[in-house]
Amino acid sequence: MAAAKGTSLRQYALTRLGLVLPMIFILLTLVFLLMRVAPGDPISAALGARVPKEEVDKIKAELGYDRPIYIQYVDYLGDVVRLDFGTTITDRRPIGEIIRENGAATLELTFYAMIVAIVVGVTFGLLAGRYRDTWIDGGGRLFGIVIYAMPVFFLGLMAQLFFGSYLGWLPTSDRASPIVDATLDKHTNLYTIDTLINRDWDAFVDSVKHLILPAVTLGLVTAGVFIRLIRVNVIRTMKDDYIEAARARGVDERSVVYNHAFRNALVPVITVVGLTVALLLSGAVLTETTFNWPGIGHTLILYLQNRDYTAVQGIIVVFALVVVIASLVIDFVNAYIDPRIRY
Amino acid sequence: MSWRVGTLATLVAFGVVALGAGAGQSALGGADQSGVVVAGTTDTVTNIDPAGNYDFGSFTVTNLIYQQLMGFPNSAKLEPVLATKCFAVGGNKTWRCNLRRGVTFHDGSAFDSADVKHSFDRSIKINDPSGISSLLGNLKSTKTNGKYAVTFNLKSPQSTWPLILGTGAGFIVPNAYSGTKLQGNSQPQIGTGPYALERYDQGQQAVFEAFDDYWGPQAKNDSLILRTYAKSSTMKLAVQRGEIDMAFQTFTPTELASLRKASGVRVYSGNGAVIRYLVLNVEREPFSNVAVRRALAYAFPRQAVATRVYRGDVKPLFSMPPAGLPGHTDAFAARYGRVPSPAKAKKALQDAGLQTPFPIELWWTPTHYGDATADEYAEIKRGLEKNGVFTVTLKSTEWAQYSDALGRQYNGFQLGWFPDYPDVENYVVPFYRSDTFLANGYKSTKMDNLIKASLAAKTESRRFAIYRQIQSLAAADVPIIPYWQGNMIAVGRNNVRGIPSTLNASFILRYWKISKS
Repeated sequence: MAAAKGTSLRQYALTRLGLVLPMIFILLTLVFLLMRVAPGDPISAALGARVPKEEVDKIKAELGYDRPIYIQYVDYLGDVVRLDFGTTITDRRPIGEIIRENGAATLELTFYAMIVAIVVGVTFGLLAGRYRDTWIDGGGRLFGIVIYAMPVFFLGLMAQLFFGSYLGWLPTSDRASPIVDATLDKHTNLYTIDTLINRDWDAFVDSVKHLILPAVTLGLVTAGVFIRLIRVNVIRTMKDDYIEAARARGVDERSVVYNHAFRNALVPVITVVGLTVALLLSGAVLTETTFNWPGIGHTLILYLQNRDYTAVQGIIVVFALVVVIASLVIDFVNAYIDPRIRY
Repeated sequence: MSWRVGTLATLVAFGVVALGAGAGQSALGGADQSGVVVAGTTDTVTNIDPAGNYDFGSFTVTNLIYQQLMGFPNSAKLEPVLATKCFAVGGNKTWRCNLRRGVTFHDGSAFDSADVKHSFDRSIKINDPSGISSLLGNLKSTKTNGKYAVTFNLKSPQSTWPLILGTGAGFIVPNAYSGTKLQGNSQPQIGTGPYALERYDQGQQAVFEAFDDYWGPQAKNDSLILRTYAKSSTMKLAVQRGEIDMAFQTFTPTELASLRKASGVRVYSGNGAVIRYLVLNVEREPFSNVAVRRALAYAFPRQAVATRVYRGDVKPLFSMPPAGLPGHTDAFAARYGRVPSPAKAKKALQDAGLQTPFPIELWWTPTHYGDATADEYAEIKRGLEKNGVFTVTLKSTEWAQYSDALGRQYNGFQLGWFPDYPDVENYVVPFYRSDTFLANGYKSTKMDNLIKASLAAKTESRRFAIYRQIQSLAAADVPIIPYWQGNMIAVGRNNVRGIPSTLNASFILRYWKISKS
């Protein structure tokens, strides 16, 4: 029986892995084509309204943008296979450097946003499910729908105005105060970690303060998904036979709810956590712009405006790889936990 | 129990907020260090290496580190900087510069003529796609004359060569820089300027320290932190809250109006150099008919745009060079009047046998020139449609596409100009010569001859006299309708000193003149 289980899990894993490659290939092709089909190019964007067209065309030819699109595509794929994402056209920045520096800012933001999302989402979801049809349930559901429906940039702007401008409690932008940012000795590019490594407590508090508004904003929007899902799961679980059986055995209600119902209701959350990685990354683009958070999404917008093919392709591929890997890991975990998935 | 759980949930959900809020003001928080000036901008930087940039955001950073032979260190008046004198030898085809002695780069190496030759040669050789080497198109060769003099041999006479030396194309880098590759933004940047770049985080901040061995007057602040903001609304909050000391480039008119009422900050305004204009394709219908172009010139609502959209932060412009520059003349006002005249516009159209309201299509771009552009074109449409002169169809597209199309696709389209140098020539020659980048089909032998004569002019008075003729001819032909010139606007906290001293038509923010009390 154990051998059969192992074989099917391995088969599932191999099939799932096999699907990743064509998925990435399709994605690379789509990104390449979309960038080329979209009107405009990096050279015209930089010089188009300053120098004659002949000069612009000459520079385009020197960079190879006048070559047939299939040749550019083959070159592009070749570079990606060698894991060479290239150097940006506009500011000559290696894509690896962007991933390392700006990616760290996004990682820090999304990590804390995920904590906020889980804490708020699980708490409100469990309470709403447990106290179904009470004011707690109504309030929880309303809160979940409102924050999920609210555009992240609007929520961010409201938070900036209220906590930053009106109350004056929290900074409204950036990862740290100018002096901290200018003097911080960076080891990981994760400011909360770097300040701790440097044992600079003032800088740590400063970076945490800067993190609060963007992380809470992004986390709350994501929490809306969790609240609704967990509430439904709790309600369904509370009706299951084993809960009835536990009650019939005389287990006290508190233990029934916390030790049996809540634990089982949280299992599907694992799947959703994987899916919310994509949600968080897309939300991070807007959150980063709103809070001037120098993450990879914020950087992507700048390069998109300048039609910097290399930069946009590189960043989107990295985004996609993160989502693909996260989905893969979640699928494996789910398949391991729930045998029904692999059959 | 439910209350306990509820209370717990609330505490957990908002505990993070309370943690930060309760921490109080960090000693490091804000920008209260007196020797450090923290400035914000929405401009972005492409390359700091002068050979790799041709945009204002990059120029601002480069200008703090590197210097030119000639420049605008104090005002909009061209002055020798790393040169002691630049002069034409014979005609305007050969220019010689004597160099300043005793200047050192930030790495301690001495500045001499080899650095000058290397800087110009490499800029032309690198010919970076984002770079400014196109301004050196007329440079044939650069030769050293001993250690402290250089000669520039040009392909054709150019009276404005000293002004070219004062642009971003004229920054001097050390001989040690590669002659074929740009100095990357993460590599050390070595110039002779008042600041040395200590730290640069792309898209986030540039940290400068005053250069102790600077040959000129020391900067009035010890350090400068230049922070980049993606949105002006975020920058506005930062300056209001005192997170930054000042901000320059670019707030919306609404934000400026709000900042003018805010406590703790001041909005400073000075003569600017930025202009906006409407380009007309003179080869294609309907603007191939000069009567249509002149009717537009009669009806154009300059004052309404300046007052209603920009709340007085821009001024109506009646010629391509902004008012205040030597050689400027209000050519459009002289020919078409200062206030819009729908009656005269209608008559111009009717005299040409055209029915009114006459249909036209105008293009504009939404993001590149700021959020107010949509309102600007709505106001222009309203003004032109007044009294049934025109019916205007507005169309827009984003800059990356727009900048590639211009006159090749659009018949009437908006553009803006930030000068390479504050001289009337830079507002005239690129726009009216036959091979203009506008691709609007304007070709005039008379205009080309005037431009040629202006470049060969040996005296300033002769040069300016020719430019006045050019502006009058341009007003008659109307290939372009200039409509506003912007002020140079900066916002500072009340304790920031020296901002007004740097607001002038050179449009250079000289951060080394700024201090905090």
